[in-house]
Amino acid sequence: MAALVRAHQAGLWRYLRFLGCQPAEAEDLVQETFLAVFREGFEVRSPAQTAAYLRAVARNRFLMVRRRERNRPWAVDIEVAEGVWARATRDDLSDYLVALADCLQTAVTARVRQALELQYRDGASRAEIANHLGLAVEGVKTLLRRARSALRDCVEKKLHDEPTERSKT
Amino acid sequence: MSQPNDPKREELEDRLVDQALRELLGDEAPPELSDKILAAAEKHIPLSAQRKEQVMNKSKRSNRWWFPLATAACLMLAAGLALVLLPTVQSRREAGRAGPLASERLSSYEDSSRPQRAPVGYSTEARPAAEAPELGAETPEPAPAPPMAGPAVGSGRDYRQGSFQYTQGQLWSDQPTGLGPGRGGDRYDRLVENPFRMVKDHPLSTFSIDVDTASYANVRRFLLREGRLPPPDAVRIEELINYFDYDYPGPEGDVPFAAHIEVAGCPWHAEHRLVRIALKGREIPTERRPPANLVFLLDVSGSMNSPDKLPLLREGMKLLASQLRDDDRVAIVVYASAEGLVLPSTPGFQRQRIIAALDRLRAGGSTNGGAGIQLAYRIARENFIEGGVNRVLLCTDGDFNVGTTSTGDLVRVVEEKARSGVFLSVLGFGRGNLNDAMMETISNKGNGNYAYIDSITEARKVLVGQMGGTLVTIAKDVKIQVEFNPVRVAAYRLIGYENRILAAEDFNDDTKDAGEIGAGHTVTALYEVVPAGVAVDVPGVDPLKYQSPMAPRQDPSTRRELLTVKLRYKEPDGQTSQRVEFPVVDSGRSFGETSADFQFAAAVAAFGMLLRDSRYKGTATYDGVLEIASAARGPDVHGYRAELVEMVRRAKALSR
Repeated sequence: MAALVRAHQAGLWRYLRFLGCQPAEAEDLVQETFLAVFREGFEVRSPAQTAAYLRAVARNRFLMVRRRERNRPWAVDIEVAEGVWARATRDDLSDYLVALADCLQTAVTARVRQALELQYRDGASRAEIANHLGLAVEGVKTLLRRARSALRDCVEKKLHDEPTERSKT
Repeated sequence: MSQPNDPKREELEDRLVDQALRELLGDEAPPELSDKILAAAEKHIPLSAQRKEQVMNKSKRSNRWWFPLATAACLMLAAGLALVLLPTVQSRREAGRAGPLASERLSSYEDSSRPQRAPVGYSTEARPAAEAPELGAETPEPAPAPPMAGPAVGSGRDYRQGSFQYTQGQLWSDQPTGLGPGRGGDRYDRLVENPFRMVKDHPLSTFSIDVDTASYANVRRFLLREGRLPPPDAVRIEELINYFDYDYPGPEGDVPFAAHIEVAGCPWHAEHRLVRIALKGREIPTERRPPANLVFLLDVSGSMNSPDKLPLLREGMKLLASQLRDDDRVAIVVYASAEGLVLPSTPGFQRQRIIAALDRLRAGGSTNGGAGIQLAYRIARENFIEGGVNRVLLCTDGDFNVGTTSTGDLVRVVEEKARSGVFLSVLGFGRGNLNDAMMETISNKGNGNYAYIDSITEARKVLVGQMGGTLVTIAKDVKIQVEFNPVRVAAYRLIGYENRILAAEDFNDDTKDAGEIGAGHTVTALYEVVPAGVAVDVPGVDPLKYQSPMAPRQDPSTRRELLTVKLRYKEPDGQTSQRVEFPVVDSGRSFGETSADFQFAAAVAAFGMLLRDSRYKGTATYDGVLEIASAARGPDVHGYRAELVEMVRRAKALSR
């Protein structure tokens, strides 16, 4: 049981963040998910099935919360979201993060990396980034969009075309 | 399934990149909720008897409109059941129905079960199983494991077939699990338990303290993650006991630690007494901790290329780095086929540089640990901080296979380097070829401590929660010598510390190395004592032919004393030892009258003996351990004690 929680709690939290939860809300839902699963009994399956099952429980809880708050906008198509998540992350974000870290070194230029670091690490606004890099604000927007799409393709390629680090060992 | 041009899909893929970048570059990270969830689950786990009902309640709750109606029906059904069933069952059902959120009901459940927990001593053999409500679900004979406590049992086995492990909470491994206990794979030294010794032949018992906890984490790995009993030699009882925080008051005077000695009835042997010697090191608040000069010595050889090794190591070291103060320094030395300085000694305020260096680590090659150790100590010496913390942190699975590979040679290197004032911490990772024996030995010889990191939670405990204790040594070469009073004690047995036993004359010999105690550390040692007059099953020695037996002549003032505990220690940079002494009188307390900490430590000791299938386990049983350990959990803020209870349950199921 402890192993189950330890193995999946972080992944579930990330998944809920992906669906659009705020960090604290994701935290609550992760707890509720596990408690629900424990209450109803749980059969151990393959890791992938386990992860998918936990996600399904978390998703239902999430939808319940969202339906209750009817006035809150809810834009994500849950089916598509599940598809994207399952394919891109193979049930967990870890491989994805590893691949992304590599891609950051290889798939984008130093300048783009700097822009990304300014945005994500230092929380700089577009205007600040523009100022820093000597670009127009519009230019920064394009730069970041292209960067994200390049990274997405690179990660996609890494995860699905090449054998991963894991299968090599 | 992929429709690359679906705009919804693209948007979501972008969102994923965005999220991953936040985590990778920014400071977003999934919180560690395991302890919280497990603690909550521990309270709410229904017994199998009430499980169905719980599930019903549950489903009512989620389909909301008929919820009140169904709840009423359910309650009626429950009431009906209550009339039919026996009173004991009824009390259990009540408890279960308290439901997940009714914590006040739950606490009353705990209260109601307490009187049945036999506060005084425990002789579980004589206790009918049904009396222990908490264990109800598991007590019936080899019946199939109850589905709910079942994830425990079942999961263990299935996990092994599915062979997974995780690091940082997330990766599944395709690697086969280690070979069986005692075959290839992980290496453990053979451990022979201390026997009972007659006081008339051996009035002195001498040993070195040990604050390591590696064995506990390792045993937990076997029980909770791999679903099998640990090999007996992997169970070092003192390390199981010392894994837990005990609420011992700290020292007041000049002595860097306080000693607390308590005597009470022995729970697994009615006629024996249990003596607990507890030391508590002085706490040092982070801001008053001396500046640290740390060298991370990281194994990046091919054998570390597994999710529970290098990635976990990287995350663990990042945790530590994030705790550093600006005036601390960190250098990173890696070793694989060759050793190398990845990061020269860097001040703590350049945290990003340290973290970036950790992020760049990749695994590959063979393992020349010996050369790495030399380099790490050299860097530590070059950046030595007088009066500060100077420490090499060796992170490895211990599988050295190139260069200096024999444990003996490594010990010599480390012993020599330890004299230069640089201390050593060994953090063990992974499994399969974990060289536990070597790591324990070199940490002992290198003025060090040894912890086994099997999860990010454990990394956090060792590197964040107990950072002071892990890094700051407040006394070194701490030795304990106990002199037993033959008038009161016939025989004694030290529980655990098998590989820490010293000769009586080593106590006063300052050249003999012994264990270190870190800031805030607690050390607990238990002696099982056979009072004078109680029969002892120890093969005696023949009466001596040439010596005339001396009648025990004693000062009447000391006749009442059971024993005297003597301690020797050195200041962290001192060469000569100080000595303190505590005479102990047995006040005749029963086990039930002792503190929760005493009871918990005794339960852990009994658990260790059961895992080792010790011949000294007496009447101890897993049920008895469960009973005491669950009752003596105390506040248990981090859920560590709850986790032990879970481990005992698992061990019980596995040992059937």
